Amino acid sequence: MGKIENPILRALVHLALIGCCIFCITPLLWAFLNSIKFPVEANEIVPSIVGFTPTMSNYEKLWLYMKGSDFVPIAISYLIVMAIIVILYRVNRKKEYLTSAKSGLIVITILVILLLILPQIAHMSKFYKYLINSVIITIATLAISISIGCLGGYALARYSGILSMVILISALAFRSLPRMAFGLPFYFFAQKSGLYDTHIFITIVLVALNQPFTIWMLRSFFKELPLELEQAAMIDGASRLQSFLKIIIPIAWPGIITTSLFTLLLAYNEFLMAKLLMQSNWTLPVAIVSYTSGEDAAYRTIAAAASVSITLPLIIVITFFQKHLVRGMASGAVKG
Amino acid sequence: MDRNTFLKFVTPSIIVMVLLMVIPLFMAIWLSFNFVTYTNLDAPRFVSLSNYKEILADPDFWLALRFSFIYILIIIPSKLLLGLLIALLLDQVKKRRGIYIACLLVPFILTPVVGTLMFRTLFDRGGLIYFLLERLFNYKFLLNTQSVRFLIIAYGVWAGTPFSMITLFAGLLTLPKNSMEAATVDGATAFQKLWYVVFPHLKPLITFITLIGIMDAYRIFDPVLVMTRGNPAFKAETLMYYNYRIATSVQRLGKANAMSVLTIIGIFIVLIPFLRLTYKEQMEKN
Repeated sequence: MGKIENPILRALVHLALIGCCIFCITPLLWAFLNSIKFPVEANEIVPSIVGFTPTMSNYEKLWLYMKGSDFVPIAISYLIVMAIIVILYRVNRKKEYLTSAKSGLIVITILVILLLILPQIAHMSKFYKYLINSVIITIATLAISISIGCLGGYALARYSGILSMVILISALAFRSLPRMAFGLPFYFFAQKSGLYDTHIFITIVLVALNQPFTIWMLRSFFKELPLELEQAAMIDGASRLQSFLKIIIPIAWPGIITTSLFTLLLAYNEFLMAKLLMQSNWTLPVAIVSYTSGEDAAYRTIAAAASVSITLPLIIVITFFQKHLVRGMASGAVKG
Repeated sequence: MDRNTFLKFVTPSIIVMVLLMVIPLFMAIWLSFNFVTYTNLDAPRFVSLSNYKEILADPDFWLALRFSFIYILIIIPSKLLLGLLIALLLDQVKKRRGIYIACLLVPFILTPVVGTLMFRTLFDRGGLIYFLLERLFNYKFLLNTQSVRFLIIAYGVWAGTPFSMITLFAGLLTLPKNSMEAATVDGATAFQKLWYVVFPHLKPLITFITLIGIMDAYRIFDPVLVMTRGNPAFKAETLMYYNYRIATSVQRLGKANAMSVLTIIGIFIVLIPFLRLTYKEQMEKN
């Protein structure tokens, strides 16, 4: 669309956008405010936005097995890590596309490692266990889903026979099916085979549920890539698989990252399947629902702390990869 | 690429989809003809169509069906309109675009159960909107059938708009410059440009968002669970939630599977025109 020139109208456009932004982030900010309040203050009829004593006690109760003094060093070390993230982000922001993705990956790896050594320095509660479950399931789903999705998506992009169409359309039909249609047979099967309550089963289930979307999205990215590169490689004697791994994958990174982000959101956010297939190995979304049904005010602040804790990893990931999400959708997915 | 290489490349995906999607579907159909609870998992009893008959005679099923349709009918147009509006606004600015997008994406990335919980907290006692409604309009927000349904729909719009916004915005970025310029030279008004140039360009995206939107709205579950606190007394069930309740609190797995089969038939009736359209489009492109 043509650009508006009138300065007053332009100011109004910005104002409207700021309004939308406030609308979008208010629930998150409110949850954050609640999470650092004492239950009494969170339940006041006139909610206070500034005039209250902030407290970390909700996070302490959520994360630690017993209230202890070891919460402060953990919190401080995490704040240091956060500072490193911000610095790395600042340093890399202006540089090129892939560098920011790499720095993001490095920071996320550091965070995961730090997470794994946490029980060595503090006695963590069950919530920590749920977080680890979520992390394991998300990473495993991501790895399997993207690697087989890349193979499938690439083949579907390069082969134009009727079979390719049949696969794509049935994948789309699968995507439309309600989760419960799979959930109960999965539950039935898991009970019979002894895979109930295991990480591996839920991971495979999530891979399958996500596969239709992954192959559609990756296919549209691979379709954008020129044929000449791989043809040249194949004339030089490389096999299809070699040229795919050595030529195509390195230039398809932006699309793969975009698809990975969607997969990550799906796996991390999935509630129903985890609820149906897990009994003791809860993931974070299942864990938080157990805080939501109570009317008790003490629960509300802990639920707020849990909400913020669940959201934080997503915010970190998106901080690094937002550009890829938007650019990826602009370049490929939307044309599929 | 020849057929054999194609098959080698797609085999892993196909195996996963067939093993974990096609087989469970047949299992669901088989289970739907049996009487199964959590106590007789090993020995299902064949009851032919009685599960289906029970569901169709259940008033809760029809309530859930109605609410699901109301939900879809409100959500999809709101998502498209609001998304387009924000995308057009976003297209006008260059400065601070990154920050705007980051904030606007928040509802999209939030875990649905968490987002719903945050949304609900605003309306609970001690919440911001509860307070504002009471002060400004002297209105006390109480949870009842109407308000819970309103909250579920409002959350759906709030959480669903960012996806359509970002998709349409991406579409606006690829708008061909010369057709816009031609329209300007011809003296088209802003509205005419929108109607004759922008809309046709965005049409495939609008179809795409509608398609994905119907699929997702049809199986809406997490917000219902959190908003109603799992209490069926609110009468704000969707089809998926009704299905879940039959499987968990009523503990009738066979009946729940019959319900799944019914929802599958339902979604296919809705989606067949879209699937045919996609098929034609893709065939033309190849």
